[in-house]
Formats: sequence, structure tokens, C-alpha cells
Amino acid sequence: MRGVLARHWGALVLFGLTALTPLVVKDAFFLDSLVLILIWGALSAAWNLAGGYAGQVSLGHSAFFGIGAYSAALLATRWQQSPWLGMLLGVLVSVAAGAVIGYLSNRLRGPYFALSTIAFSQVLLIVASRWRGFTQGSEGIPVPFRPGFWTLGLGHVAWVYVALGLALVHYGVQVYFERSRVGYQLAGVREDEDAAEALGIASRKLRVFAVTLSAALTSVCGAFWAQYVGFVDPFYVFSVDLSIRFALNTIIGGVGTALGPFLGSILITSLETYLRATFAGVKTGFTGIYLIIYGCVLILVVRFVPEGLAGLAARLRAGVARSRERATDHAHA
Amino acid sequence: MLTLERVTKRFGGLTAVREVSLEVRAGDLLGIIGPNGAGKTTLFNVIAGYYRPEEGRVLFDGRDVTGLPPHAICRQGLTRTFQIVKPFGNLSVLDNVTIGSLTKVTRLRTARVDAERVVETCGLAPYARARARALPIGLRKRLEVARALATRPRLLLLDEVMAGLNPSELAGMVELIRRLHGEGLTLIVIEHIMAAMMRLARRIVVLHHGERIAEGTPAQIASDRRVIDAYLGEEFVLAEA
Repeated sequence: MRGVLARHWGALVLFGLTALTPLVVKDAFFLDSLVLILIWGALSAAWNLAGGYAGQVSLGHSAFFGIGAYSAALLATRWQQSPWLGMLLGVLVSVAAGAVIGYLSNRLRGPYFALSTIAFSQVLLIVASRWRGFTQGSEGIPVPFRPGFWTLGLGHVAWVYVALGLALVHYGVQVYFERSRVGYQLAGVREDEDAAEALGIASRKLRVFAVTLSAALTSVCGAFWAQYVGFVDPFYVFSVDLSIRFALNTIIGGVGTALGPFLGSILITSLETYLRATFAGVKTGFTGIYLIIYGCVLILVVRFVPEGLAGLAARLRAGVARSRERATDHAHA
Repeated sequence: MLTLERVTKRFGGLTAVREVSLEVRAGDLLGIIGPNGAGKTTLFNVIAGYYRPEEGRVLFDGRDVTGLPPHAICRQGLTRTFQIVKPFGNLSVLDNVTIGSLTKVTRLRTARVDAERVVETCGLAPYARARARALPIGLRKRLEVARALATRPRLLLLDEVMAGLNPSELAGMVELIRRLHGEGLTLIVIEHIMAAMMRLARRIVVLHHGERIAEGTPAQIASDRRVIDAYLGEEFVLAEA
């Protein structure tokens, strides 16, 4: 039990505070930001499974996000079905697409894999924006708000808890990737594939598994997001910007750590929300300024904390422990 | 236990291994020697499933394993180490070995206990928490052996695990291999350090230009004319005498 506390204290504090927030804060803008932080965090966590734990850096994860969003939106608008069913459909489609992308990862390495994922998301963008009869093309799909849990027509407070549940599940899957047989074997494959094979690990199968799971979880977030925001725009949900965002949150927060994607999401999402709200009204020319600040933050992180915010936290803790040791050493001397 | 039937491996126009046949029985400690480029490591790569031979078959326990992927061969009980060590650099020594254990043990907790035992056996206990990439070469070679051992092989292929070791590390490694062999493990060892090989192996096979040119006890090999010409040289014979 103490081990669990020591390992997950960051998550306990973070998710604990989030659970308490709606009891204290009633401000809709703040709660909205909180939901977005959690959803982007969960998405980045899903990306981390492939990009971090399996070492397969994808820049096309918006493909799976879009598949989830469109599945939920289309099922809700065309067949009046629950977004939960849409989510299930999205997962099935994403599993199939993820398996293909995962198979590609066995053929293509590093930048070539990343490029092929971008291409994949862009193909889906073209399909979604041109297939007017089915997807309403580039106009996008407004998702109707129908109150109730089954239809996911919820208030801000309820959304905080739905998003929190999502974040917790994704955090849990990441922890599983750290502390399980599969996780250890995946770490081996990431570090040295030949050595992993020599030790009896079916590296190709494992990598496909990680990428597929990552795709499925990304798709789940896409479905929730579509219901939350209420509008699915193909140029947004399949954009490269979005894919990069999943990657950036994770890189800034800490690649291959369970808490990292959430820390990254807190920093980036709140920064963006704040800057947009502040500068948008000042002058139209300032609307893009958050991108500049975004870029500066990335440069600073890569330069000074290449292991990400989670790594920074670990470093600080180690530093505190060391200075305490030194203090006791002095006391003894 | 392991049978090679006229195995041939070519790379383009170059025949790295030519019609090599080999028989390893349970309990053997077979040495493979030969000059650089003789095809020793290529032969290991063929046995362990990294290369598919153009001709010939590899039988392990009577089963044809030719062309199976490396992980499948390992799961049948045949594990190899790499001449150029391949530690999981960012992981601790214990985690490295645990990954090996997890091949036969499914529960993580059991695997960790198992790995601790193997780490102890290989004399790596003081470094169990150290990052693998921080280890000096002597310990990395040990880690390579420890990780392979953790998969509980019945046949272990060691590819130059003594190269680059200082005299005391070398003695330790010879001792470790002897002990493993004494506990019933069957081994094939590639090595350039003849002094160690002569003390260790029961039987030695000599490869030259991809072909098997001799096989016999260490004493027979040391006095074989072709082996002296191809590999050992006159100095070695004089030194031994």
C-alpha cells in the first residue's frame, strides 16, 4: 500500500483535487477548462502508449480521434443512437485501422513511420470532407444535445466526472504498461528489438498490440469530445495540429511516464485557454499569439528538462532526498 | 539436442557458412573457434533464427526449427547472447534480467524473485539497481549472460562473452560457465581467447572461410596442422609446448 502511495502520489493529488473542484468551484469557464484538460490529458496518455511505451512516434493520431468523433456523431444524427454505441463502433473501426498502422510500424521506422501516420490521417480528412452524402462534407456535423447520461447530454459538473473517469482509465492503462509482463517486454522491444527477440519476446506482435490499444483509447476520447463540444469539423478532428498536440503534451510532460501526459495537458491547455481568452479580445492580430508562446515553452522544456515535467518532479524529489541525507551526514559528523 | 544438417548461408556472392554439419548432445560444452570472418557468429544467427539458411536444416530436440523467428526458438529452450552486447540501456540490471525471466514466468512478482536469484548467481547483485548503460564492459558481458540464463534455456549459445575482459573478470567468467555446465546446462561457446577455450571446452569445432575444417578435443585441435595454419599459428604451438 505504501508502495502504491509512493509511486502514484502525483496522480492521487492531481485526480483527487480534480474530483473535489466541482464541489467548490461553480464557474462554468473554469469547469470547461478542467474537462478539456482531462480529455486532452487522456488523449495524450493514449498517444503515450504507442509513442512513449512502445517507442512508435505517431503524428497521425488525429485519425483515430476523428474516427471516434465521427462514429459517435453519425450514429447520433443519422440513426438516433446513443453516443456510447458510437463509441463502441469507433473503437472497432480504430482497432482495425490501428492494427494496419501497427503492422506498418514493423516495416517503417522512426520518421518514416511518423510520415505514414500523417498520410493516413490526411486520407481520412479527405474522405470525411468530400463524402457529402454521408458525412455532410466540410460543413461538419452538429451533434444534438439530448439531456441524459445515455445520450451524454450532461451539465458541466457531470462532465468533469465523466472526463475524470476517462482520465483515470487511461492513467491505469499506462500504469499497466509499466508494471506488467507486457509492459516489461515492451520496454525490452523499445530498447533493443534484437535482444528482446533473443529473450523470447514476439516483438512485432507486441508492437501491433500497443499501437492498436493506443488507437482504440484515442477513439474513445474522440467520441466523448464530439458529445462534449457538440460539433464535429473534419478539418479540426483530422488535423495534424491535433496529432502534434497529443505528442507535445506528452513530450512536455514526460514521455513514457504515466503522469507526464496529464502534466503536459495542464500546462498547455491552461496556457492556451488563458492566452486565447486574454488576447482574443484585444486585437484580432493577437489571436495566434498563443502558438508563439506554445513554441517557446516547448523550446524551454526540450532545452532545460528534456525528460519532461514528470522527470523534473523526480529530479527535485531526488535532490531533496540527497540534501536531507547530507544534512543527516553532517549531523552524525 | 541440436543438429545442424549441411547448413549454408550466403550473402549475395559471399558464402558465409558452407555446408556445416554439427551435433550437440545434452551436457556438451562445445567450443567454436576460427579466424575473424570465419562464419562463427553467422552460424549462431542461423541457429537462433536471425538468418534463414539457403540450404540445410537446424533441428532442436529433433524438431525442425529452421526459419522460425528468434523468439519462438528461445521459447523452445535455446537462447543466445550477442557478441556486441545489447543491454536494455535505460533499464536497471534487475529489470533487464526480469524481462528474460518473463519469458517462462508469467507473474511479474515471481519473475522478479527469479531474476534476483539469477543476478546473484552471475555476481551482479551489487549492481542490481544500476542502469545497464552505466556498467563497464566486463559487467555488461555478465549481464548478457544473466539475461539469457533467466529465460531458462536448455541450450545456451555464448558469443565471445570473454572478449575485452581483464584477467580477473576472465577467470570469473570461466568459473561461471563451468558452474552452469556443472549444473547440467548444455553450451556452445564462441571464443578467441584460446587459453580459456582450451580449459573450458570438451570438444572444439574449427571454422575457416565458412567451412568446418576440424573437430576434436582441445589437445587434438592444438596439434592439428590445418588449424595451426589457418588460425593458431606456430607461436601458439611453441607457447603450448
